[in-house]
Amino acid sequence: MPQRVLIVDDAMFMRNLLRDIFSAADWEIVGEAADGSEALQKYQELRPDLVTMDIVMPLRSGIEALQDIIAADPAAIVIMCSALGQESMVMEAIQNGAKDFIVKPFQQEQVIEVVRRVLG
Amino acid sequence: MDMSKYKSMFLSEAREHLQKMGTLLVGIESDPQSRSGIDALFREAHSIKGMAASMGYQQTADLGHHLEDYLDHFRQQGEVSVGVIDRLLAGVDLLETLLDDIDADREERSVVSFCTSESPVGKLDQTSPKAARPTPEEVNLQIDLQLLDKVASPAARLLVIVKQLANLGKVLSCEPTEELILRGGEVRRLTAIIKTGLGASEVKSCLENYSEVSRIKVGPPQTKTACGIVSGGATVRVGTDLLDRFISLTGELITNRYMLQSAAGEKDWGALKEGLGGLARLVKDLHHQVLQVRMMPIDSVTGRLPRLARDLARKSDKEIRFELEGTGIELDRAILEELADPLMHMVRNAIDHGIKKQGTVTVRAWRQRDQVMLQVADNGVGMDPVTLRQRAVEKNLISPAQAEVMRDYDALQLVCLPGFSTASQVTDTSGRGVGMDVVKAAVEKLGGVLHIDATPGRGTRFTLKLPLSVAIIKVLLLNIDQKQVAMPITRVLQTLEIDRSQVQTSGKQRVFSLNEELLPLISLRKILGLPVRKAMAQIAVVITEVLGRKIGLVVDGFAGQSEVFIQGLPSPIDRLGGLGGGTILGDGRIVFILDIQGILERRR
Repeated sequence: MPQRVLIVDDAMFMRNLLRDIFSAADWEIVGEAADGSEALQKYQELRPDLVTMDIVMPLRSGIEALQDIIAADPAAIVIMCSALGQESMVMEAIQNGAKDFIVKPFQQEQVIEVVRRVLG
Repeated sequence: MDMSKYKSMFLSEAREHLQKMGTLLVGIESDPQSRSGIDALFREAHSIKGMAASMGYQQTADLGHHLEDYLDHFRQQGEVSVGVIDRLLAGVDLLETLLDDIDADREERSVVSFCTSESPVGKLDQTSPKAARPTPEEVNLQIDLQLLDKVASPAARLLVIVKQLANLGKVLSCEPTEELILRGGEVRRLTAIIKTGLGASEVKSCLENYSEVSRIKVGPPQTKTACGIVSGGATVRVGTDLLDRFISLTGELITNRYMLQSAAGEKDWGALKEGLGGLARLVKDLHHQVLQVRMMPIDSVTGRLPRLARDLARKSDKEIRFELEGTGIELDRAILEELADPLMHMVRNAIDHGIKKQGTVTVRAWRQRDQVMLQVADNGVGMDPVTLRQRAVEKNLISPAQAEVMRDYDALQLVCLPGFSTASQVTDTSGRGVGMDVVKAAVEKLGGVLHIDATPGRGTRFTLKLPLSVAIIKVLLLNIDQKQVAMPITRVLQTLEIDRSQVQTSGKQRVFSLNEELLPLISLRKILGLPVRKAMAQIAVVITEVLGRKIGLVVDGFAGQSEVFIQGLPSPIDRLGGLGGGTILGDGRIVFILDIQGILERRR
């Protein structure tokens, strides 16, 4: 059974890029959210196996959305997507329950490796 | 996770629980059916077990668990015999030695033999602890890894790995610590020790999932633990309300600073004066609050006394009632540390020598203005000044002439002369080498005074008068040869100026008469090796007590009193006898604190 993924990122081209990467690995993109404020709702609706979460987003930040999701489901698997130089935010996210992180610009092998090891 | 920073907290909390257990056990002995006492003991053992288990101290947790089960049995029965109390006390002692093992970074000694030994109620089943027992295959593995140079956000990467390690086993230590990793930066190496049931190869292959890792080594731990900074320092528990007061005082100080700066800038002397007045008040407040942090209830040193009294009474087959009052009184922790041994010694003395067969020993503490009084009293035979004088003469500590004129008060103080304790007085509980002279010296070193009073047939009372704090004391400033030295006010019995004509000579010694007593006059210039001055018409004298005797110390003059903060002298100056520390006066001058006793002792 393919893994079900929820992509949260405010930039459409990022969402498309991730979608392409995941499809190549035969994983199913079950939904997308353009902002942290949508993330929790989509998560509860779709119950994905994995969430990729951008760190910086306009209305509700990635860390806040992460906290929302972990609070609702402590077993949730969330991977943060960060740009270079956002190390402290990444560490804050990890302290808040994110399982791992990937750094932009994404490389296919890197993303797949991280997802594979996070999903076990 | 780095457990070392929690170790000192664990130790101080665990020791508190043990002390409570000791007190409870002694209390139960006089009331063996006290259900609430047994319940309380059960809870203490339970706490210790839980804390030890969460820190990974297996032997301690096992013993705690064993005692907990043992007590549970009696919770249901509702009564404990003396034999049971003895066994429980032995268990508490063993827990203490385990804590010492942990403190010294030694491996915990085994508790198996204790747990399987015969108990007065017959053998209890060897309890299977509810806390998780390590499976026989669990071992400590050391993991060394390094990240590739090109890895972005190396600190975050290490953080993820550290979290992953926690899934593989129990992280005993890691370097850099999680705290350091969180600070970010160029951290690329990690060394961690985990306790796991997984094999080294399993752990390694799990970590090989991280392609960012260039080198991984998993194997048995190479060096002894102690990664990161081991905090050996003592810890203090501070109430949050005290911290709140610090914050608000700090705020006020900051405001005050701005006020002073702007007043100075505008050369507004009126406002400057006002600001300085406010500063004085704030500093006084801050001083008071900071001292509070160092204050601890006396109970921390008196807590073990009931147990000591009970053990001594049993050993010497006497019936002793031990009472403790006023243990909530607080004292500076530095003072309390120094009092622990003297208190034990005085209680021992009271039980060994003060009481013949039956009696009461009372330890009381109370506040008297800016001092704390601590008293050890017994209602036994009472020291007899006549006997003491005789004994002192026999031992050549005083001359028969001195004995004749000696007042009873001073005669009682004779027990504090070094060499007074005789072989006939030493019992195997009192031991040698810890005499009242050591107690008195300890009390005086803290700036306190020891009073002794006794009534033959009614009992003896030792009263310690202690200052509230060691760090800041009142001193008397003395002029001597164009310099100033300081003497703690507590050591000053009196200051006066005498006329040259009052000086008499007795043999080689200059003396003078005060209240019908002849006191020797000792020149401070002389003992400090300073040039002697031409005799003046009026002579400034400080009456103080050294080595059990009153003397008159001759100085050039008095320069008033001051409240100063004493600083210890650094090495090698601290090896010079005769100096009790130094201080910096308000005008920046450095002044040394004199320890007259130390100076005179060296001269002998």
